[in-house]
Amino acid sequence: MAVDGNPDASESCRAPKPAEPILVATGLHYSYLDRYPALNDVSVEIRRGERVALLGANGCGKSTLLKVLDGLIFPTKGFYYAFGQEVTEDTMEDVQMSEGFRSRVGFVFQNSDAQVFSPTVREEIAFGPLQLGLSREDTTGRVEDVTAMLGITDLLDRAPYQLSGGQKKKVAIATVLVMGPEVLLFDEPTAALDPRTQYWLMDLIEQLGESGKTIVHATHDLNALHRIADRCVVFSEDHTIVTEGTPEQTLADRDLLLGVNLIHQHSTLPSPRSGAAGAIRDAGR
Amino acid sequence: MTDAPASAASRERDRPVVPQWLLQQDMAMCPCGCIGKRKKGSYLTKTIQGGSKLLQQVMFGEDVATARGLLQRIDPRVKLLSLIGLLIVAGLSHSMIALGVMYVATVVLASASALPVGFFIKRVWLFVPIFTGIVVLPATLSVVTPGDIVLTLWHWNGDPQGFTQQGLVAAGRVVARVAVSISLVALLTLTTSWIRLLAALRSLGVPRIFILIIGMAYRYIFLLLTSVTDMYQARQARTPGTPKHDRSARAFLGASVGALLGKASQLSEEVHQAMTARGFRGDAKTLEIHRPRAIDAYYVVAVVIFGAAILIGDHLLGR
Repeated sequence: MAVDGNPDASESCRAPKPAEPILVATGLHYSYLDRYPALNDVSVEIRRGERVALLGANGCGKSTLLKVLDGLIFPTKGFYYAFGQEVTEDTMEDVQMSEGFRSRVGFVFQNSDAQVFSPTVREEIAFGPLQLGLSREDTTGRVEDVTAMLGITDLLDRAPYQLSGGQKKKVAIATVLVMGPEVLLFDEPTAALDPRTQYWLMDLIEQLGESGKTIVHATHDLNALHRIADRCVVFSEDHTIVTEGTPEQTLADRDLLLGVNLIHQHSTLPSPRSGAAGAIRDAGR
Repeated sequence: MTDAPASAASRERDRPVVPQWLLQQDMAMCPCGCIGKRKKGSYLTKTIQGGSKLLQQVMFGEDVATARGLLQRIDPRVKLLSLIGLLIVAGLSHSMIALGVMYVATVVLASASALPVGFFIKRVWLFVPIFTGIVVLPATLSVVTPGDIVLTLWHWNGDPQGFTQQGLVAAGRVVARVAVSISLVALLTLTTSWIRLLAALRSLGVPRIFILIIGMAYRYIFLLLTSVTDMYQARQARTPGTPKHDRSARAFLGASVGALLGKASQLSEEVHQAMTARGFRGDAKTLEIHRPRAIDAYYVVAVVIFGAAILIGDHLLGR
C-alpha cells in the first residue's frame, strides 16, 4: 500500500509497534440524506491491539462511525486512514486496496439477519474467504476450524431462518473470524441476546483481545465495559465525541454519563471491577 | 450522590403522568361468560395464515430433505437431469396405463424416500383438479370435442350434447400427465434441500449471479413473511371483536405494504454492505461440491431403463 499524507504514515514502513495507530479518522462529518446528521467533526485513533468501546445513546452515531471505519460509507468531510492508506470511495475501487483492507478489517453487524444471507450456514461462513480468493480446500478447512472453535459445527447445513437469535449472532461472528481479520468491529454485539450468549460473547471478545486482535465495539451497555475495553470513546447526542478515557475513568464520571444519556439519574452504575457486571455474569451462568 | 428524600422527590417528579382513563378497570368481557356471534375469518386473515403455514411446510420440507431415504442419497444434479428426462417421457406418453404406471412409480419412490405417502398424494391432488380440471373441463364436452356421447346434458337442434368419450379420454390424459409431472417435481423438491438444488442448477450451467439472487430471495422471503405475520398479529391483538373489511382495513393493508417495502429496502442496503464488508465485488464465488457416487450411476441406469420401458410400452399399447 502506498503511504501518503497521514501523520503516522511514515512509521508504517518500520516494524509495527505495540501502540501504533492503525485506524485514524480526522474531522469526520456524515449525514443521512443530507438532512439527518450522524457524525459531527468526529476524530478518533485506534491503535494496534487496543480494545475500544464506542459509547453513546441510541442514534448518536456509533454505528455510522463503525461503517466509516469499515469503508462501507464515506464521510462527506474529513479523512480516514487505515494502515497508512487513505480510505475513500475512490481508493476502495482499487482491487488490491479493497482486498487488503477487507481481509484485515472485519465487521459484525448489529442485525445478524442482514449478515447471514446465504442459503446455508456453511455457504455463509465460506463466503468471505472465497471472495478474497482462498481456494475451496483452504476455505473448507477454515470453516471447519472456526465452527469448531465457536461450537456451531452442528449448524453447518442448517438454513439461516432455522436459527435462533443467539445462533445467528454466532454464525455472523464466524463469518468474520473465518477471514482472520486484524481489526474486529462489533456493532452492539450483545443487543437482544440472552444472558448466557451475552457472556459467551464477552468471553470471546476478551479472548480475541488477549490474542492481539484490535477490537472496536459500539455499545451502550456499561456492565461489562472493564472486561471488553481498554479505552472508551464517548459520544454525545449531538453526534460529537465528548471524551475519551479508560473504563474506570468513564464510569467514575457520573455527570458525563448522565449528560450523554448513557445512564438515568436513578441508575446504579456498575463498579469498575465487579458489582453489577459480576452479578449479571453469575446470573447468566 | 443525592440524599434519600431528594432522590425520592426527583423520582416522583420524573415518573410519567398516567391519564385517569388508563387507570380505570373496565370489564371488557361479559361477566356471565356468554359467547357472542361468530364470523368467519377474512381473506386477509386466511392469506396471512397461509403464509405461516407455508413457513411451517418449508421447515418440514427441510427435515424431509435431510431424512435417510432413497432419493435423498442421490446427487441433486442426477435427480434434476432424471426429472427433466422423466418429464419428457410423461409428455410423450399417450397411454393411460403408461401414465398410471409412472404415477404409481412416483408414489413408490416417495415411500422409499421416507415421505409420508398421504401427504405426498394430497400435495399433488390438491392442485391438479383446481388448475387442470377447470382448464380441461370444456374439452370433455361435445361442443369442443365431438364424438360418442356418454352422458347427455342438453339437446341442440335435436342432437344430444354432453360429455363425449373422446373428450373424457383427452381430459383424463392431460390430468394424468399433469399429476405425474407434479409428482416428479414434488419428489425432487421434497427430497432435495434448497441449497443442493441451487448447486445442481449451477453445475448445469445456470449463471452464478442468477443462483445467488434466487438463493437470497428465498432466504429473505421468510424474513419478510415473518414481518407480515408479526404486523398482522400486532393489529389483531389491538382489534377487539371481528375485524371489519372497510376503509381502515384497506388502509392497514396499504400501510403494511409500504412498511414492508421500507423494511425490504433498508434490509437490502444492509445486506449489500454486509456482502461488501466481506469482499464481494460483484462476482460471487460459492462452495460447490461434486462427488458422484455409485448409487447415482445405478439411479441413472434405472431411470433410463424405466423411461425406455414406458415409451416402448406406450408405443405398443397405442393410443
